[in-house]
Amino acid sequence: MKRDIRIKWFFPHPVEEVWECLTNPELVNTWLMKNDFRPVVGHHFQFHARPLPKMGWDGIVYCEVLELKPNERLVYSWKGGPRPGVITLDTLLTWTLAPVQGDTEMILEHTGFKGMKNMLSSIFMERGWKKGITRRFENVLKERGYEQA
Amino acid sequence: MSRLNYDPFQAIADNNRRQILMMLSEKSLSINLLADQFDISRPAVSKHIKVLEETGFISIRQEGRERLCELNSAGFDAVREWLTYYDQFWKRKLQNLEALLEQRKKGKKGR
Repeated sequence: MKRDIRIKWFFPHPVEEVWECLTNPELVNTWLMKNDFRPVVGHHFQFHARPLPKMGWDGIVYCEVLELKPNERLVYSWKGGPRPGVITLDTLLTWTLAPVQGDTEMILEHTGFKGMKNMLSSIFMERGWKKGITRRFENVLKERGYEQA
Repeated sequence: MSRLNYDPFQAIADNNRRQILMMLSEKSLSINLLADQFDISRPAVSKHIKVLEETGFISIRQEGRERLCELNSAGFDAVREWLTYYDQFWKRKLQNLEALLEQRKKGKKGR
């Protein structure tokens, strides 16, 4: 099963411009979502969008800036859930920029999607379930094809 | 069809329901046999089973006089939907970004 999203995108604009659009909260607001981002490692911020109740998401993304290298690399966590305090989506967002003859090649990686199998496993693990039971559970899921590429 | 009151995440947020899923991961069980494993009342167990059925984690079929519960795949597909959702989400957003960059470039030239 596919676990990550990786998108390569070419912009006919200099990296400095692209970086500005990635890190200036007002600009991020116009193309992505309402936010209180600040380009500071350790800064906690949020994105706000329309809730998606069907998918168990209240419309708030909880983030923390983890890495910041101007014009090159930006990493932040990307978490969400059905209501405040309950995180069911715990992922990572990585933006990588590279100059190509005055233009920009961007790679966007959204990683850490755990899938229900891992999610259940981690819940079971946390609760101190016996490893054997978890493994049996995993095997059942495997048989049912959740492990397929 | 019954109405969905719970989302899949709420469904597995409950300890009893997770336990039911664990038991069913070993083998399919009748509602009676499942209920025997719990200290809580039978109606309470039935309620949990109903939630799991409504959210697609398990399915129930009649076998003789027994109602047999087994794991179902629908609930497990829910998280997979995130991937599909975000794949489209980001492509849409990157198109926005492209438009914004273009707009800013034009604005600069015009100045």
